[in-house]
Amino acid sequence: MSTTTENEQLAYIASQAADARVNVEVETDEGMTLNLGPQHPATHGTLRIIAKLDGEKVVTAEPIMGYMHRGYEKLTEVRTYPQVTTLINRIDWLGSFANEVPFILAAEQLMEVEAPPRAQWIRTILFELSRIANVCLFLGDMAVQVGATTPVFYAFRDREFVLNQIERVTGGRFHPNFDRIGGLKDDLPKGWIEETRGALERMKSFCDEMEELVLGNEIFQARTRNIGVIPGDVALSYGLSGANLRASGVDWDIRRDANVGLVYDQVDWKVWTHPDGDSFARFWVRLQETREACNIIDQLLGSIPSGPIMAKVPRIIKVPAGEAYVATENPLGEMGYYVVSKGDLTPFRVKIRSASFSNMSITPWILKDVFVPDIISILASLYFILGDIDR
Amino acid sequence: MRGEKEYLNGLKSSSYKGKHMGLVESGKMPKSLTKLLNMSRRYSMWVYQWGLACCAIEMGAAFASPRYDVMRLGVIPLPASPRQADFLVVSGTVTDKMAPAVRRLWEQMPDPKYVISMGSCANCGGPYWDSYSVTKGVDQIIPVDVYVPGCPPRPEALLEGIVLLQERIMNEDMAERWRGDPIVVE
Amino acid sequence: MAEIPEHLLKRAQAARENAETNQPTSDQAPSETIEADSAVAVIEEEIPETDERAEEILNQILEGLGETVLTSHIAPGRGLWIRVSSDNWRQTAEFLKDELDCKFFDWLSVIDWMPSPYGRELETEQDIEPEQDTNEPEQMEWGYTGGDTRFQLICRLYSISNAAGIMIKADLDDQSPRVLSLIPVYPGANWHEREAREMFGVTFDEHPDLRNIYLPGDFEGHPLRKDYPLLSRRMKPWPGIVDVEAMPGEEK
Ligand code: SF4
Repeated sequence: MSTTTENEQLAYIASQAADARVNVEVETDEGMTLNLGPQHPATHGTLRIIAKLDGEKVVTAEPIMGYMHRGYEKLTEVRTYPQVTTLINRIDWLGSFANEVPFILAAEQLMEVEAPPRAQWIRTILFELSRIANVCLFLGDMAVQVGATTPVFYAFRDREFVLNQIERVTGGRFHPNFDRIGGLKDDLPKGWIEETRGALERMKSFCDEMEELVLGNEIFQARTRNIGVIPGDVALSYGLSGANLRASGVDWDIRRDANVGLVYDQVDWKVWTHPDGDSFARFWVRLQETREACNIIDQLLGSIPSGPIMAKVPRIIKVPAGEAYVATENPLGEMGYYVVSKGDLTPFRVKIRSASFSNMSITPWILKDVFVPDIISILASLYFILGDIDR
Repeated sequence: MRGEKEYLNGLKSSSYKGKHMGLVESGKMPKSLTKLLNMSRRYSMWVYQWGLACCAIEMGAAFASPRYDVMRLGVIPLPASPRQADFLVVSGTVTDKMAPAVRRLWEQMPDPKYVISMGSCANCGGPYWDSYSVTKGVDQIIPVDVYVPGCPPRPEALLEGIVLLQERIMNEDMAERWRGDPIVVE
Repeated sequence: MAEIPEHLLKRAQAARENAETNQPTSDQAPSETIEADSAVAVIEEEIPETDERAEEILNQILEGLGETVLTSHIAPGRGLWIRVSSDNWRQTAEFLKDELDCKFFDWLSVIDWMPSPYGRELETEQDIEPEQDTNEPEQMEWGYTGGDTRFQLICRLYSISNAAGIMIKADLDDQSPRVLSLIPVYPGANWHEREAREMFGVTFDEHPDLRNIYLPGDFEGHPLRKDYPLLSRRMKPWPGIVDVEAMPGEEK
């Protein structure tokens, strides 16, 4: 039945597998080559890093991506606008709701509709909730990467409370697919606001816990202080955004400086920055931002206006011709969609500007001349999600 | 892809089928002894978690969070290497670039080994069914015992998949291991 | 199957009756029903007619770059687009970085303006096969700032001090699209250019390392070009627009 011999099959498999060696070390005259990944406990996801070492020092390090490339930009060209949100949910899979918002806003800009205030309020609340769900896992995971296992269990435990709240509104723990052009799919369920307050309390105490458990820890500080320092102007020229940028002392937050369609101007909140630019600063900024997100939601919960949650949009959505770029401050950084429409049911072209892709593009620069164990703590502190890099 | 057809043909006839390594696999065991062995295997399984995409987070929630607590089922997550694992959970999108690594990893596991495919992506390509870079189902590369549908499946669904796998192991006659059909969680 | 509890049955019955009473009469279009149902004020977005800040910035750019800016476009409140020729690509970026303080490199990509030969018609069962005998291609239409060629490079730079994002576009040659790399100006352009090379086949001169970034090394073709077919769609017909849930008050 089979037309090939077993040897041929084996040769084929071997040639394929050689392309994806798992943690092989090769020693040559110039030093040692260390391959981390694609599946490696410390790369949370399928990122592969090839590092050339001289002793314990990294000479060059090169990330190899694409193990999670799913072709979003091409697929959006063959999906109608409402179908696209199903897809783009899955780019940054920890804060899914936040992925939908910029795309919906871009489409709304082109269609010249605006969501009613109530929808904008709820959008902002869900947006911040997904930020908490996302960053919460970072706080636990970062500790794991430098050697403390317990915090990640706390993170998973307390994250459930936030996911519960998201699920009660949207019906999905993540990947809610809840945002619609012109508003939201549904209104808030009864009693949700009170429950959310409870979940926020939980999250605040989680932040305190992390602060005591991780931030003040001597080992943690030794592993992160002055490790992986990124100066502000380098960060800008590599397109770093979000907490990574603010940890380098650049005071820029899209929520405050270029806000589109969300109601951050209605609340009293603060943008946190840290002058150091090292791994510790990135952790610190994210921790403060989680607190700040709780604060923002707290204020918004008290002031949700009444009214409809859906503006008037036609049943079959055709977006008028034009181009629009909308970016929002997602948990990972700036996420934007450049939507080119030609008046069809499907977008003509969608360029997805994802935060992790730019954040990670600094790795060859930053991983130069660091020690091998620092690779892990630097990568963890840069915080990336594979789907967000590879798209 | 180069040689894909030969490769798939090869999978159909590769050597793991019907290879009798000892008394247990050749089926010459007394029934009661088989049962005893199966029972002990069933509740002492190391799972290698191959988290690839979004589903990995739900798998993480099932394995690492106190709310779902997989250890009560007799499953120990986080082995040091696939060589210690009894079953593999492939959760998430397998891309053509990743596929060889998945295959390689599965080959490193010692027999008897089982595979749970978690999520629509690993089952059939899921939302990326028409993508140019996604493998449409991990079962094109390795044999799958249990499919857990959903995008993403809830952690409970994964736990049910594990329970079904345990049932399968319990009723297993080693010699017939590869002849059954995959179980689908409903 | 398990028994359906009594109260759920009642609720379903009530919902059905409710839907029946609200049903539109046959001469009413569904959209009108929606209008009648949600008798609430729809907020009209106030679109500013002009955008002074963007115009100011555009004037600065025109002053500095003069003739090299071919066209420009301002969408009030949404952004500023300029188009330069690909020969001036790097100079433009340098100018914007030095003079307008655009230190933040946002992203870079390419748009393929050729209409896709496949599947624009979503109502049909199957993607349309490219017609072999008609040699006449569909007319290309460009977006803001117009264009001349099939591939258009687009890059967004952001100036934090001016709080303004600027899109730069440049036309590329159809047959061998190539342009100078932006890496000396913005090191972050590296990966974006690799991605553009892989997805569109645009060559970036002076780029140190133009290997594939996502796809396996032996992948053929440039997937984001419009004439790259999605093979799975050829095998399995596209179901067309299907409503999974019926709209309220509508018979499924
Ligand atoms: S099945 Fe859904 S949730 Fe799971 S990896 Fe695929 S897209 Fe993500």
